[in-house]
Amino acid sequence: MSTPARKRLMRDFKRLQQDPPAGISGAPHDNNIMLWNAVIFGPDDTPWDGGEATVVVLGTAVAEGGELPPKASPLLEVVRLMPASRLGGTFKLTLQFTEDYPNKPPTVRFVSRMFHPNIYADGSICLDILQNQWSPIYDVAAILTSIQSLLCDPNPNSPANSEAARMFSENKREYNRKVREIVEQSWTAD
Amino acid sequence: MDSEDDMHDADDLDSLDDQFYSGYAALGSDDGDEYDFVDNVSDGAEESTSHRQQQNYTILSDADIRLRQEEDISRISTVLSILRSEACILLRHYNWSVSRVHDEWFANEDHVRKVVGLLENSSEMQRTRELTCGICFENYPRDRMTSAACGHPFCHTCWRGYISTSISDGPGCLMLRCPDPSCGAAVGQDMIDLLATHEDKEKYSRYLLRSYIEDNRKTKWCPAPGCEFAVEYIIGSGSFDVCCNCSYGFCWNCTEEAHRPVDCDTVAKWILKNSAESENMNWILANSKPCPKCKRPIEKNQGCMHITCTPPCKFEFCWLCLGSWSEHGERTGGFYACNRYDAAKQEGAYDESERRREMAKNSLERYTHYYERWATNQSSRQKALSDLHSMQNEKFLLFQLEKLSDQQSQPESQLKFIIEAWLQIVECRRVLKWTYAYGFYLPEHEHAKRQFFEYLQGEAESGLERLHQCAEKELQIYLDAQIPMNDFNDFRTKLAGLTSVTRNYFENLVRALETGLKDVGSSNNQATCSKSSSSKSLGSKAKGGKSKATGNSSKSAGPSRSMDDSNLWSCDHCTYANPKSTRTCQMCEHHR
Repeated sequence: MSTPARKRLMRDFKRLQQDPPAGISGAPHDNNIMLWNAVIFGPDDTPWDGGEATVVVLGTAVAEGGELPPKASPLLEVVRLMPASRLGGTFKLTLQFTEDYPNKPPTVRFVSRMFHPNIYADGSICLDILQNQWSPIYDVAAILTSIQSLLCDPNPNSPANSEAARMFSENKREYNRKVREIVEQSWTAD
Repeated sequence: MDSEDDMHDADDLDSLDDQFYSGYAALGSDDGDEYDFVDNVSDGAEESTSHRQQQNYTILSDADIRLRQEEDISRISTVLSILRSEACILLRHYNWSVSRVHDEWFANEDHVRKVVGLLENSSEMQRTRELTCGICFENYPRDRMTSAACGHPFCHTCWRGYISTSISDGPGCLMLRCPDPSCGAAVGQDMIDLLATHEDKEKYSRYLLRSYIEDNRKTKWCPAPGCEFAVEYIIGSGSFDVCCNCSYGFCWNCTEEAHRPVDCDTVAKWILKNSAESENMNWILANSKPCPKCKRPIEKNQGCMHITCTPPCKFEFCWLCLGSWSEHGERTGGFYACNRYDAAKQEGAYDESERRREMAKNSLERYTHYYERWATNQSSRQKALSDLHSMQNEKFLLFQLEKLSDQQSQPESQLKFIIEAWLQIVECRRVLKWTYAYGFYLPEHEHAKRQFFEYLQGEAESGLERLHQCAEKELQIYLDAQIPMNDFNDFRTKLAGLTSVTRNYFENLVRALETGLKDVGSSNNQATCSKSSSSKSLGSKAKGGKSKATGNSSKSAGPSRSMDDSNLWSCDHCTYANPKSTRTCQMCEHHR
């Protein structure tokens, strides 16, 4: 039952758990290793990281590393464990693999709503390593890291979202404002 | 670097395209080249075939291609002192041009190596007993791992998968590189042969062969279906017409069927027009009106003006004014003199759509006229071709045997005139067919040119018709019955005479078209030109006998078509010919 693709995916998962890159996490579905969920946190020191924020739970401010009230959501658990008190954007993605992996790239889509010059309205990503520049050497960690760096390093020359691309080139302030908007939205969506 | 060169070569081809062919050979000698025919008749013609080949183009069989490819690779390999697989990659990168490879290599070897992926010094894989595959991350003993010249190790299974995926993705596999994205080391045929499955190796070698023809600017595959030959053409050597060993003649420039004397652009436009949906649209515009309620096009097939649209619409309306039927009748004063129509016309409400409909109708009629004749000549040519083949096969041999048994003084070559006549007919039908396409695109306002053209065309066509009839019907008589020798000699004289007369007419026509009808002035002659009917009578009455010259001059178009601009542009959407002054198509409203 274990095909080269599945073996390799197991490897990727192990690697991701043992040595996770910063701001990235991902795991396959319980019953289907070919379908993964992943979360990317906005890179630090960018509009994507949401700036410093105080987490307010039910009207009570929570200090870093402090006690959480009962019935806190899993997201807050994550927040408590994070070293920085910043609460960046948390963007969810899905990765669909095929039996051709690693010779063919997975299909990666954002589930969270995004506003980025290279991300389509349906969440598909316009990224070279996911298309023609794919190499079998890339693994899940590499994919997610590239996407994370794409967030603050868009390529307005191949715009998937023309409005975002235009705003990025012409009106940075407005662009950053919109980015902060979706960062905030990503906290509430589930 | 590559792209610059591409541009340069493309320019060469374009400028040649604009030139008319120089050194155009007489029509007669072409006939002999075009078809495989029975040995006993082909002596003179075969010589001219090989002569033509040396001049202009060469036919390459599968074996020829392989041989040449091997030779080129060997040459590069020896001169540059590199492996054959490396030479192959290098050649493929520079489109199989040996001279280019030499130039680029000796200009800047390092740059070339980098771009193509041929490392100067090949590195070996790490010398440990076990290595980790970069793709599956498993550990294997060193002898079960392979790397390209860069030394990046991958296990054989992963290599096989990588190569297989690349090959099934298409000819891009010829430019395969090391899987490591930071490394550009090329993977050549030697590694493919080592690591790939048998099927993949076959595919790879097939792609390599195809690349030799397709990537090389001097060669093209013969477009005839099922033909495995390629044609190498020396650019700049005049006429683009080549004839493959499979007896298909085509234009090397645009790979369409041979279309001398009309140029490639006109041919492309004509073919597009024949296939375009545009004609359907024009027809619909000209012959139908949209239902006022559901907008579906309706064609009136009965006399009454009271139209009921088909279900589910079922709207009832008057054909003339497209108004609802319930409001019709007494108020508007009847059907045939629909007052509302007249009143509206005075107001100018219907002018636009009426005008468009009128123009569409004219345009369509004009196109139909030319297309019909083009198509008729095409089918006529096919029939002539099949007659020719049957002549060469059974009937002719029987005929010869008959005649020979009758008369000793009747050598086989005496019957060559029949074959020549048929070949002439086939070639002339082809030329005539394309002159109709030419006639369609000849600008309406160039009256003098048009008259001259139609005159020449008429002469040629009438000659061809007589020749065709003689060859078809009268030859039949001689084949079926026993005819005395004298009559047969007369027939031979007649047929040979007709053949050469027709050949002359066609030579005139072709020469005139190739020089762009320069002998005749352009629109400044308008004052002296009369209606085209006068040239019609000139063409048909000068020679007696059956002639179809009346068919080939265009009807004078309706008043809405008079245009003084010297240029027309053809709409991309519906191919309608608009005057230069308009920016949007008058037929379909598409922007220029």
